[in-house]
Amino acid sequence: MKKENKNIGAFLSEYGVFIALAILVVIISAISPEFRQPGNFLNLLRQASFNGLIAFGMTCVILSGGIDLSVGSTFALSAIVCAEMIGHGVPVIVAVPVALLVGVALGLISGLLVTKGRLQPFIATLITMTAYRGLAMILTDGKPISRLAESSGDSLLFKAMGKGNFIFTFAPDFKIPIPIIILVVVFAIMYFVLKHTVFGRRLYATGSNAKCAALTGVNINRVKMSVYAVSGFLSALAGLIMISRVDSAQPIMGSGYELDAIAAVALGGTSMNGGRGRIAGTIAGVLIIAVLNNGLNILGVTSYYQSVVKALVILVAVLSDRKR
Amino acid sequence: MKRMIKLLFASLVALCFTACAIVIDGEEKTTSKKVESTGNIGLSISTLNNPFFVTLVEGAKKAAADMKLQLTVVDAGDDVAKQASDIEDLVSKNVSVLIVNAVDSDALTSAVKVALSKGVKVIAVDRAINGVDVDCQIASDNVAGAEMATQYIVDKLGEGVVTAELQGTLGSSAAIDRGKGFHNIADKKLKVAASQTANFNRAEGMSVMENMLQARGNIAAVFAANDEMALGAVEASSGAGKKVMVVGFDATDDAIAAIKAGRMAATIAQQPALIGETAVKTASEIVNGKTVEKNIPVKVTLVTAENAGK
Amino acid sequence: MHVEMKGINKSFGTNQVLKDAAFNLKDGEIHALMGENGAGKSTLMKILTGVYTRDSGTVIVDGKEVTYHSPKEAEEAGIVFIYQELNVLFDLTVEENLFMGKEITNRFGVCDKKAMRAKAQEIMDRMGVHIPVDAVMSDLSVGQQQMVEICKALMVDAKVLIMDEPTAALTQSETEVLFEVINSLRKKGVSIVYVSHRMEEIFELCDRITILRDGTYIDTKYIKDITMDDVVKMMIGREIGERYPKRNNAIGGEVLRVEGLTHEKLFRDVSFNVRAGEVLGVSGLMGAGRTEIMHSIFGNLPLVKGKIFIEGKEVSIRNPRQAIEAGIGFITEDRKTEGLLLEKSIAENIELCNLGKVSTKGVLQAEKQASLVKRGIEEFRIRCFGPHHECDNLSGGNQQKVVLAKWIYTDPKILILDEPTRGVDIGAKKEIYSVINEMAAKGVAVIMVSSELPEVLGMSDRIMVVHEGHVTGIINGADADQEKIMTLATGGSL
Repeated sequence: MKKENKNIGAFLSEYGVFIALAILVVIISAISPEFRQPGNFLNLLRQASFNGLIAFGMTCVILSGGIDLSVGSTFALSAIVCAEMIGHGVPVIVAVPVALLVGVALGLISGLLVTKGRLQPFIATLITMTAYRGLAMILTDGKPISRLAESSGDSLLFKAMGKGNFIFTFAPDFKIPIPIIILVVVFAIMYFVLKHTVFGRRLYATGSNAKCAALTGVNINRVKMSVYAVSGFLSALAGLIMISRVDSAQPIMGSGYELDAIAAVALGGTSMNGGRGRIAGTIAGVLIIAVLNNGLNILGVTSYYQSVVKALVILVAVLSDRKR
Repeated sequence: MKRMIKLLFASLVALCFTACAIVIDGEEKTTSKKVESTGNIGLSISTLNNPFFVTLVEGAKKAAADMKLQLTVVDAGDDVAKQASDIEDLVSKNVSVLIVNAVDSDALTSAVKVALSKGVKVIAVDRAINGVDVDCQIASDNVAGAEMATQYIVDKLGEGVVTAELQGTLGSSAAIDRGKGFHNIADKKLKVAASQTANFNRAEGMSVMENMLQARGNIAAVFAANDEMALGAVEASSGAGKKVMVVGFDATDDAIAAIKAGRMAATIAQQPALIGETAVKTASEIVNGKTVEKNIPVKVTLVTAENAGK
Repeated sequence: MHVEMKGINKSFGTNQVLKDAAFNLKDGEIHALMGENGAGKSTLMKILTGVYTRDSGTVIVDGKEVTYHSPKEAEEAGIVFIYQELNVLFDLTVEENLFMGKEITNRFGVCDKKAMRAKAQEIMDRMGVHIPVDAVMSDLSVGQQQMVEICKALMVDAKVLIMDEPTAALTQSETEVLFEVINSLRKKGVSIVYVSHRMEEIFELCDRITILRDGTYIDTKYIKDITMDDVVKMMIGREIGERYPKRNNAIGGEVLRVEGLTHEKLFRDVSFNVRAGEVLGVSGLMGAGRTEIMHSIFGNLPLVKGKIFIEGKEVSIRNPRQAIEAGIGFITEDRKTEGLLLEKSIAENIELCNLGKVSTKGVLQAEKQASLVKRGIEEFRIRCFGPHHECDNLSGGNQQKVVLAKWIYTDPKILILDEPTRGVDIGAKKEIYSVINEMAAKGVAVIMVSSELPEVLGMSDRIMVVHEGHVTGIINGADADQEKIMTLATGGSL
């Protein structure tokens, strides 16, 4: 697209995060034969799908100039609403859409606090994060809700979300986990919306310079409400996949997920001030974190060192991205 | 070029609709190909932020070193999703025996099912894994331990004393079991003034206890679901100038020191190092093709000032 | 202090911005430095003050060859640069700003507030400005902030003061105060480098003038020896002709009428109209409420009462979207914070106002986008690498052209321009005037708010003057002169 001459520096800053991902995969593959098995890559991608979905929503919010700390709590609360409904005999086909709508509603509440309440996004979502976690505890009495597949009458839909694999009948050994398919589909939609729609343009404009966007007729409050709703929806979706996968919903699930999502977005080169960034960068960031988690486990690195190694990799990636 | 892509996409969609199916992990009729036995052992631990599990892991590592077995330890950081991933990672690493210390008894069913279907043997330690038939279960009885500790309060202070409970992280099975053991005795023989969670954490234990003492000055005894919270409660009551009998759980080094110094009354000694050691020994027996007991209980004991030195 | 710069070369990457540039400053003179945007004025001054290092050339200060490695070193030698974008900490007080980094402390290392306040007051008095030393910077007018910056420079005993467009944000009366201060500094032997686009000011204030063009030194002259036309010719290397191009279109019927616009506190009872093909100039002092009146018409500022009529019909405008739908285009005063997405490309900025035109059912159409942006770049002669050039890297004039393009393609019936030529060089200024004339010729009703009196006088069919939130008069362009406007702008009557 761009006609200007690009030097190596510009190339690096544009694709640095992908190069970092590639280097990481090559290094760990070289050390560990177990890591480089195809089955492990599918594992890794499935493990990445939760953070991926949440980070996509987070990307939208950060692009609009905000931040959403409530994703982990929304993840838990929506999942618990779904689990409670299943536990009380509501059919999965109803419970799942309702839980997703709950996610949207929870996001809209954050959005309202930011737009109508004029709270700073950090504070607004800190409030909702705390409140939603408390609600999750109240709903469950602090205890996990378990054996969901059994309560749902062994619903295929419920089990497929997290544990399902897509296969072709002629090649039954080639299995694609459903969470990965969901991740790819959501990625494609997000990519299209951000890059090729009017809404995407308005979102970037709002994050880049809200004052200017408003003066050019962009309804910035509507844009902000939308991004928090998207973030809530995707957090809820990730939560549903999670409870399907572990067959149990805990009130404490998802705590700290906001930080992983923010780290992935930052790794992907999205500006924390908004207006600048790409969804493709975010997926690379998500994968870097997933490769580190999976790779360091397989290499048998002690968990104490894992955290430090992760921090260092994130630091190096973000710094190399900064050098423009 | 664009037409090519469209054509390709359309045929792919068609393929998907005509020749596809969905299978659920762990439920395939034909078990997937079994992996060659490597004799390696994997240990997925719930958290290494707690001295108890650190000691457990140390016991396991020592046993593995003594028997020259290769042991890989991964830490789930108290997150069920992370633990499910960890188990997948260990299965990818081709371990023969998987020792699992579950974050939550109910949430690992499917991950463990998948591991079993790949021919990996599974030992559950400290916490049960519900809904699957694991090869062996090694644990100390939390309910019995909590009952023992609560009975000690009754024995020392008599029936009907005002007692408070510091609960563990809500939802964790240790918190549930120990709470159950406490209430089994306390509901009949003690007056329970307050029950609140302090998330197995010393600092929180201290502030929760401070609040409780503020609200109910007459609390005479405290049952804490682990020693970290118990030690927090000790700090809080001595800070408030109150003499409160504190009973904990786990018998960590700090707690034993506090008991020796007379600051804490008692704790329940699980033997984490022994649990770890037993797990690795059992694993080695499985690797060597021996059959093992389904349930291996590890003794718990009451530790008081009288026997704290040993 | 005597400064001599010779044979200065400087490149950024492959782009050579200074080629054998020279500059010579005498003791106690006011020396204008002129040139179009991108001529290298700022770069040359930044080399003098150690912000940039020169590739080659010599700098001689008081007979000794020097190289300053940082602005701080230059400051210690007595050379101070006051930037156009003021370098003040808005949340702190005047005194805290003055002593930032040079706090007076007692022997325990604790700030001695009392001593600092006394010293600050003393400097204010010496300058003859009356600003409370404990006022918070953000509460002051831009002119007052500028004074604080000058005071800050005097605190370090500046011998050379470089001022970049100091009057860009000042009102007429503030400008007069500034000129008094500058003149008194000259009497005390301070040399002043005065960088500005405002010809009238330079001829009023300066002793000598140096002109740069495309990074090269053109000439240095005594002001009394040359005319404005000479200067323009030297700056752009050719004759520019009439500064304000003539317009001969017929004026049609009324397009916009406002009646009794009243804001909670900023302005009261504002009524005026604009006709098709007419340019209404709006003049007044800074803070008189001109900008705010325009924002309220555009729906960006709530009104307590007042009516807006477009083509005779009353309309309700409560937000910018409704204003745009009603056919209003608004080129705001501050293009960097309100007019442009600075970090975004020319394409994205032009499209932002015209998203409906370049999309179908909410999906952007690449071909429509490309043709709109191509048209904009060609029609407005935006000098750039292409549609993806970031606006941040464009010169002020070209940035303003991007803003014009994005609004003009919305086909407005009414075009409001607030300070359209601020910070724009002479060549680009004339192009902007031509665009305004073209719009008027097409029958658009144009409102042009400007602080530059010659511009208002040269461009307007009628001139509305605002004083403290009141319209004090609307006069015909043909009858207007500077004196009449200033009388009205300061609250007098004709």
